[in-house]
Amino acid sequence: MQFTTSKRLVALAFGAMVIAGACGNSSATSAPTSSATAAPTAGATAGASQVAGISGSIIVSGSSTVEPISAGVAEALAAAKKGFKWTVTGPGTGDGFKTFCAGETDISDASRKIKDEEAKLCADKGIKYVELKIAFDGMSVLTSVKNTAVACLSFADLYALVGPESTGFAKWSDAASIAKALGSNTAFPDAPLSIIGPGEESGTYDSFVEIAFKAIATARKQDPKVTRPDYTASANDNAIIDGIAGSDTSLGWVGFAFAEENKDKVQEIKVAKDVNGTCVAPDAATIADGSYPLSRSLYLYVNTAKAKANPAISAYVDYYLTDGTISKVLETVPYVNLPAATLAATRDAWAAAK
Amino acid sequence: MSTIASSAGATQASVRAALTGKHRDTAGTVFQVALLASLLFSLAVLLVLVVDVLSKATPVFAERGVAFLTSPLSSNPAKAGVVQGIVGTAVLALIVAVVAIPIGLATAIYLEEYAGDTRFTRFVQVNIRNLAGVPSVVYGLLGLSVFVALANSLDGAGNGRNILAGGATLAVLVLPIVVITSIEALRAVPNSIREAGYGVGASQWEVIRKLILPSAMPGILTGVVLALSRALGETAPLVLAGAVLGSFSGLSLESLFSGSYTALPMIVYDWSRKPQEAFREDAAAAIVVLLAITLFANGIAILLRNRSEKAW
Amino acid sequence: MAQALPASSVISLHGSAARRRRERLVRTVMLSAAAATIVISAFIIETVLSQTLSFLGQINLGQLVGIGWFPRRGIFDIATILIGTIIVTVIAMIIATPVGLASAIYLSEYASPRVRRIVKPILEVLAGIPSVVVGFFALTVLTPALIKPLFNDANAFNLAAAGIGVGILSVPLVASVAEDAMRAVPRSLREASYGLGARKITTSLQVVFPAAVSGIVAALILATSRAIGETMVVAVAAGAPQARTLNPLDPGGTMTSAMVLLASGSDQVTGNSAAFQSLFFVGLLLFAITLALNVLGDAFVRRARQRY
Repeated sequence: MQFTTSKRLVALAFGAMVIAGACGNSSATSAPTSSATAAPTAGATAGASQVAGISGSIIVSGSSTVEPISAGVAEALAAAKKGFKWTVTGPGTGDGFKTFCAGETDISDASRKIKDEEAKLCADKGIKYVELKIAFDGMSVLTSVKNTAVACLSFADLYALVGPESTGFAKWSDAASIAKALGSNTAFPDAPLSIIGPGEESGTYDSFVEIAFKAIATARKQDPKVTRPDYTASANDNAIIDGIAGSDTSLGWVGFAFAEENKDKVQEIKVAKDVNGTCVAPDAATIADGSYPLSRSLYLYVNTAKAKANPAISAYVDYYLTDGTISKVLETVPYVNLPAATLAATRDAWAAAK
Repeated sequence: MSTIASSAGATQASVRAALTGKHRDTAGTVFQVALLASLLFSLAVLLVLVVDVLSKATPVFAERGVAFLTSPLSSNPAKAGVVQGIVGTAVLALIVAVVAIPIGLATAIYLEEYAGDTRFTRFVQVNIRNLAGVPSVVYGLLGLSVFVALANSLDGAGNGRNILAGGATLAVLVLPIVVITSIEALRAVPNSIREAGYGVGASQWEVIRKLILPSAMPGILTGVVLALSRALGETAPLVLAGAVLGSFSGLSLESLFSGSYTALPMIVYDWSRKPQEAFREDAAAAIVVLLAITLFANGIAILLRNRSEKAW
Repeated sequence: MAQALPASSVISLHGSAARRRRERLVRTVMLSAAAATIVISAFIIETVLSQTLSFLGQINLGQLVGIGWFPRRGIFDIATILIGTIIVTVIAMIIATPVGLASAIYLSEYASPRVRRIVKPILEVLAGIPSVVVGFFALTVLTPALIKPLFNDANAFNLAAAGIGVGILSVPLVASVAEDAMRAVPRSLREASYGLGARKITTSLQVVFPAAVSGIVAALILATSRAIGETMVVAVAAGAPQARTLNPLDPGGTMTSAMVLLASGSDQVTGNSAAFQSLFFVGLLLFAITLALNVLGDAFVRRARQRY
């Protein structure tokens, strides 16, 4: 009596596990073949255009900024070519190079150029690579729409407000003496200064510091890689936008695309490279031609030895650089497309390397 | 029993009312209401959480329906789905079951049926209780430096961050739960059963296998299901043990040794930190799937326990 | 519980040699499983200790004090994440203590068996909700709907919401351990109290509660340890640890969330492998703190059991 009860319970529990397992399976079975679900997406969208399959898999890691582009390209290629397998992650540019130079990944996404120490790491491990420029991105310097006192800031002004020497400044005017020492005549308001920006882990932080501060900080014998630590950092761009909108005299920076999407909430400040230089507002044209000073390029770093050995890698990069691929992906991912000439140059670099 | 208690309570209340001259115990009533309110707070939180997640997830399910369950991860929130998470979670649960149940049950049987009260047994018991209290993220460190390293040395092609390493990490994490609940279940089996078995000449293993385990099975299964449900919801150890935060092709079971994998809670974590607002809705929808599975597992555990309480 | 047959029993009862061999084999298998649990502990301790030593060897100890938790700059201000942990844990226990204990008193002293049968599973379901889900809830509901309206200058990521989320997760643990302790108080104590004319509230608070105090303390200690070890709620809802802050409305992190954020990959790891190994250093601290609390909690549980 007792035995049959417990046996029924065993059956019940295992039945439940089977059901739970079946839930997982049944969701996969809506693809045409139930057991051989090699690539559900490929089966769904592959049409007459499918010429030949690609066998092999690639691993892409690196910048979270570039991740959506690389993943989008991989998804599109997988839809066209059966058997193409991929993994794309976005832990950050620096982390990407670390695993890339350890030989763990095939391609490294980067929102900045490889640093000397990272290049040395790759060289030590005998890893050769080619650098491919694939898109542009700008960084917008933002304040609240209510802030009318500041319309344009030079790199020197930004350094005075956000650089390592500004630690503790609670008002815009506190930064005036450093700015003056750097030759700037910008008038800072006597208003509270609250700074919101991306966290140190992000490539956007790196790029901002690298482009805007590095020269000044080096000249002033400061750490060239950091901002002041006492700012509000966030990994979430929407939170940065909200933070900037939430304080009348805020200052912050995010990727250009997010600023553009939120122009009703925040105001873009024009940026001048040099003290008393030309103030430029960010837009697709000024970012692409480099006249907006806070623009940067986005890169792929491809392990050339692996690319020669693994046809999937070269097929992926070929597809990446085909006319129309990047621009198609950029319809859903808001970065600035490369001009045709630059894309051609990238293609040449790739052709020479592979 | 309950009638006696309640009639005693009624008598006592009327006696007290007569003695104190009060007809109402205001403080007592307020106190009782406050207690009930605290209890209802948990219920309310649970309700708000479920309703909120459901309302955020509704547009996703309304627009995409089953496609959300059958699509792979994507950088485009309008196309991203959870099939790889469902498969990954199922495979992880299977690995956990295969590893943790035999070891956990064997440990419990040893401690409860074989071992005497030796220094070794007491040490093992204290050790298991302490393991149960170790934060899950610390198990992630163990997974990273032991299981991932082991998987890496066994399989040179990958980087060791495979689903076996992840599953082993989770199995070790829930092992103490399996042991502790199994010990309780074994302890609840009356000694008379054992003695009856020995009395007819059965060996110790025969008694355990044929008499004790069947009797303790509901309780053991409760523990197993609870442990699995805990493993299903864990994120932190998998982050350290190298489940993918990103996207990849194929399912999570292409290969147990190389190849990327993810799990439902990993997807929730990844999507909740993406900048695009649309991923928040996707995250809510993934939570609905995750909650459905864990609530289902918990429901089974509660059901099993109610059955087992009736057993004796 | 070893119930081997007495040696003097009839030889035939021993069974065949094969049978005895099987018995020995089974016993050995079971014993090795039990030993495996010790190996696990040994691995945890070995891993964490050796990496910590290597970490401490790489840095100079001055780097453990600084303006905040910036592993990338080589600033490992352990106080920053300790303070974050304390803020989150205190807020969590402010929620979990009254709610959990009140629930326990209600379930143990007031609820009818039927109510208990309905309510206890609800608490168990709450305990079974994955913490990443509670983190999402804290980020998308608690902060915008509760924290922001109350405190205008709260950040979208803040320690307060994470603390409340951890508190919600801790309620079932407090309730269940405390309820066990109160139900273990003998009925005779309650009846004696009623016999003296005490009201139910008096009996609950002044007789049962003090009698169960060991178990209640155990419940609170174990819940505190759990709250300290809770990871994903904080990692999702509180942002990341940065400059040292005492303000719960700021973003920040705990020891656990600092570990997960470091491991989820970031530029922080690059060019400075001390950053990676700091993970193990934090892990060791966490392990030591929770272990101490668990041992203490267990001692109280045992005391509560021995009492009657």
